[in-house]
Amino acid sequence: MYNKKKKGIIGIIITIIILIFIVIISNIKINNLSYVQNIFGFFVMPVQNGLTYLKNWISGNNDFFTDINNIQEENKKLKEENSSLQQSLREFEIVKSENETLKEYVNLKDKYTNYTTIPAYVINKDISNYSNVIVINVGTNDGIQVNMPVISEKGLVGHIISVTPTNAKVQTIIDTASSISCTLTSSRDMIVARGTLEEGATLKATYIPTGATLVQSDTIETSGLGGIYPKGILIGSIKKVINTQNITDRYALIETAVNFNKLETVLVITK
Amino acid sequence: MKKATVIIGIFITFLITYFLQANFFSWFTIAGIKPNLFVILTLFVTLYSGIKIGISYSIFFGIFLDIVIGKSLGIYITMLLIVAILGGYFDKNFSKDSRITIMLMVVASTLVFEIGSYVLSIIMLNTNVEILNFIKILFIEIIYNTIITIIIYPISQIVGYKIEDIFKGQKILTKYF
Repeated sequence: MYNKKKKGIIGIIITIIILIFIVIISNIKINNLSYVQNIFGFFVMPVQNGLTYLKNWISGNNDFFTDINNIQEENKKLKEENSSLQQSLREFEIVKSENETLKEYVNLKDKYTNYTTIPAYVINKDISNYSNVIVINVGTNDGIQVNMPVISEKGLVGHIISVTPTNAKVQTIIDTASSISCTLTSSRDMIVARGTLEEGATLKATYIPTGATLVQSDTIETSGLGGIYPKGILIGSIKKVINTQNITDRYALIETAVNFNKLETVLVITK
Repeated sequence: MKKATVIIGIFITFLITYFLQANFFSWFTIAGIKPNLFVILTLFVTLYSGIKIGISYSIFFGIFLDIVIGKSLGIYITMLLIVAILGGYFDKNFSKDSRITIMLMVVASTLVFEIGSYVLSIIMLNTNVEILNFIKILFIEIIYNTIITIIIYPISQIVGYKIEDIFKGQKILTKYF
């Protein structure tokens, strides 16, 4: 009985460890794996160096390791320098982050002087995997109404779908039920950008005119049609163009200007 | 008195679940996919406290979620209600003593909840249809919910049978899978 209980607890601990491992592995970006690269490098590089030496020696170019002592000393110096630079970089990153937050508060309003805006904080995010709604800390008490557009320093966020006296729900542009009329900044061609279930902040550009030329990293902005969003607010840029057999079915993926994972402050356009 | 304590306890568990889902599991994800703790909670409440309590809670949970974060009133209520009814069916026909059975119940409930929610949002909110992406997310979500079920199974057994004693008392019959 005791052993069975003990086995059960060990099983749960193993499951939790596996879960944490899966979560970390599945969310890690390949360029963040430099430490793994270092570990692999630790085992692989000495052999690789040996093989390089052998190759160079065979080809008569064996002066690569002749000045090994100097190289080692230089390497030591560079490592020290690197460590001090990394320290400075960390300090710089902290200052930069503080500066960005302060800028966001102070300059957010200055950027959109043509509009009357109300600043707000994001206080809640969607709990579902299939929709993307955020809750902000302003409501009817602050003059917020349904269908008012919401922007951030980087670009368009979405629009108000419901409001209470103290908070409001915002349907973001990456929500699967969202559809925006927009224009290509360079060619002024009209397209429709719809929210998708794709990973990251991606929109799908559809109804592309047959004569329109889509160029990667072309910027997209609101067209002003539809009655919700004002004209000229940045949405994002074209990430990829997908051509189909029938030209009318072709579509493009748009990377939003706003990073919705790090969205903290927004502006609601009231006029 | 005992029943009132359990009812309050379930409310507190719901609030804890909500804050866990909205905060902790918004970043503790598998490939960006969150689990759905409300399906697990509704299923467990129904399994151990009976279909009547399960349905009452699913309506309360559903209204709360629809109002707080939903895009339109009705999707969470409807789908959690269906999960509670499904839980009642499972309670009647299957044993809760097997971990595998409970895991399969969670898989079925998640499947029904998410497919139903997606279909309802297509009908009610004109959501774009993306079958492949939906299946991919659903698959990961089911795996995540199953892992969470494995972790909480022993606690749910201990607490669940105590709740079952309070609510069902003498009515408990031995069931076989």
